[in-house]
Amino acid sequence: MVPRLLGIPLLLIATLAACEPASPAGTGVTARPVASAAIPPASAPEAAAYPLTLTDDTGREVVLEAEPERIVSLAPSNTEIVCALDACDLIVGVTDFDDYPPEVADVEKVVVGAQVDVEAVVAAEPDLVLAAGNELTSSAVIEQLAQLGLPVLTLYPESLDEIYADIELVGRAIDRGDAARALVDDMEGRVDDVRTAVADLDPPRTFYEVGMFEGVIYTAGSGSFLASLIETAGGEPITGDALSTSIELEDLVAANPELILLGDAAYDPTITPEAVASRPGWETMSAVAGGRIVVVAEDPVITRPGPRIVDGLEALARAIHPGAFGSGS
Amino acid sequence: MRAGVVPRPIVRGPALTRAALVLGAGAGLLLLALVVGVGLGSVAVAPDEVLRVLGHRLLGLGATSGVDASTETIVMELRLPRVLGAMTVGAGLACAGTVFQAILRNPMADPYIIGTAAGASLGATLGIVLPLLAPALAIGAASTWLGIGLVQLLAFAGGLGTVLLVIGVARQGGRLPSVTLLLTGYAVSSLLAAGVSLLMFASGRALAVIFSWLMGSLAGVGWADLAIAAPVVGATFVLLLARWRSLNLLLLGDGPAAHLGLEVGRAKLRLTLLATLATSAAVAISGTIGFVGLVVPHVLRLVIGPDHRLLLPASAVLGAALLVLADLGARLAGGIPVGVVTALVGAPFFLWLLRRSRRVASALSA
Repeated sequence: MVPRLLGIPLLLIATLAACEPASPAGTGVTARPVASAAIPPASAPEAAAYPLTLTDDTGREVVLEAEPERIVSLAPSNTEIVCALDACDLIVGVTDFDDYPPEVADVEKVVVGAQVDVEAVVAAEPDLVLAAGNELTSSAVIEQLAQLGLPVLTLYPESLDEIYADIELVGRAIDRGDAARALVDDMEGRVDDVRTAVADLDPPRTFYEVGMFEGVIYTAGSGSFLASLIETAGGEPITGDALSTSIELEDLVAANPELILLGDAAYDPTITPEAVASRPGWETMSAVAGGRIVVVAEDPVITRPGPRIVDGLEALARAIHPGAFGSGS
Repeated sequence: MRAGVVPRPIVRGPALTRAALVLGAGAGLLLLALVVGVGLGSVAVAPDEVLRVLGHRLLGLGATSGVDASTETIVMELRLPRVLGAMTVGAGLACAGTVFQAILRNPMADPYIIGTAAGASLGATLGIVLPLLAPALAIGAASTWLGIGLVQLLAFAGGLGTVLLVIGVARQGGRLPSVTLLLTGYAVSSLLAAGVSLLMFASGRALAVIFSWLMGSLAGVGWADLAIAAPVVGATFVLLLARWRSLNLLLLGDGPAAHLGLEVGRAKLRLTLLATLATSAAVAISGTIGFVGLVVPHVLRLVIGPDHRLLLPASAVLGAALLVLADLGARLAGGIPVGVVTALVGAPFFLWLLRRSRRVASALSA
């Protein structure tokens, strides 16, 4: 995919200068890799053979010449995946949003205020860049980094299965296939436990508030990952517009949620069940009348598609079906 | 109002010296902007390393041994094309602003005034949002056509197409009355702006991308962008400069210009198209950066007078240098939109100049 038809940049550079564009650590992305190099690893984990050709979530094919030793992560979820595979010490660049695991606090920040500092990324001399899809990392930046010869894997999981696939993709990329498989097995087991626990319970109509700004209410978009997560946790999600993820108040009133989950309360202490109950127009909803408005403090892990998503799922399931999980956790 | 309207020949005696002085000072400023723009950035690179990389890669001098490959990439692939891109955009916008102010004889005129910005914005916004609405088009967005992405392509086409539409509506016989042109441009711009707002509302996560485009940014300008925009801006500059006589005559107003033998309708049409070409090419690679195209011609007209033989090249040089410096400020401030810097610095300066010299409006017609 991604056919870069004409190498105009290369052409121009070639006329301006004698040498090839610098390519840190000798790695590179090829627009059209040799097909024979793209043998997918067998299901049995074994030492990865480099050069290794991988296809990321945007369909871009990336060639890794050697086992990565310097990784730049452009999204907190990517950082968490790498660290969960016990490769935290390879990370040489993260975002200013990274807060987990704590040891990444000292790593250089190459994304500040959601802006990728391309110079800082290049200066970190990465041999693997992990970007995020859906414009979380700007697609123009991804294109620019790739053109500079950096191997960029863009991860954009939109379901639990795709998170598993991305963990295994990163595992293959950094030669930690075994650890990735074990991590995914563990996650799958815990997700199955949640599914089993809520299987026979009636799913309440659940409204998850992502945020409310200037009167516009943001929730899970229809068909979104968050919506499917609520479903897996045993709720029936009330969804907003697929793209803007907003929902009109009258649609919300008409949908009549039986349960309101406040994800935004994790960031804004003024968002409380009492405050929500007193919002004009909200009093008719069953959830408000029945007092079922619940703060979800785990929102950061619910909305971060990394290994801790299962923590988020379990928190959601506990909030939706408090009775089904005993008093254990 | 119109004292000394007849274009005085400046290329004689002390006037020639003045022209040389102005352009010499401009060239010096431009060189300074180049050095500072390439030398500074979010990653510190020692000045001698910058010089060694540039000397080796551009002039074939010496060697870059001892310089990190990453440093070389930062200087050659990130900073140099970005600085040259800023020069191209700054020069293009300042020239176009000069031309529109002359054609329309309106002090509010800037390169965007008759719809270029609105059309380019709608094109760029479509280029950003379409791939999200129709995933099949995502391939089109990631791929490039002759090194030009979907966003740049649609921005360029949107700017040019809008002005063609505006001209088509505003033309009356062979005439192109300024007031009609302005009002038509305003109406069409409003219509297209509604389209941009609608797309922004539905854009979801891409809102930040659209916003940054609308504010203007030179982040990500590479050699490929430059290879397309620089020749267009360069060629239109030469063609505009060749029409300096028409520009000077148009300052007198349509009637007097016609009496002096200018085919006003045709001249305005050509000048408008050329200025729009330059604007669209600039905007395609940078987004809609404000203020440069409005202020630079005004400032220079106050300082060096309205003769376009000198005003156009001086505007190009000053616009280029200012945008490089504004972009440097934007980079050093953590990647804020360059349009914010041009307005933050440009507006107070312009106000100060207005207070000092009450001649801005009259400078347009004198």
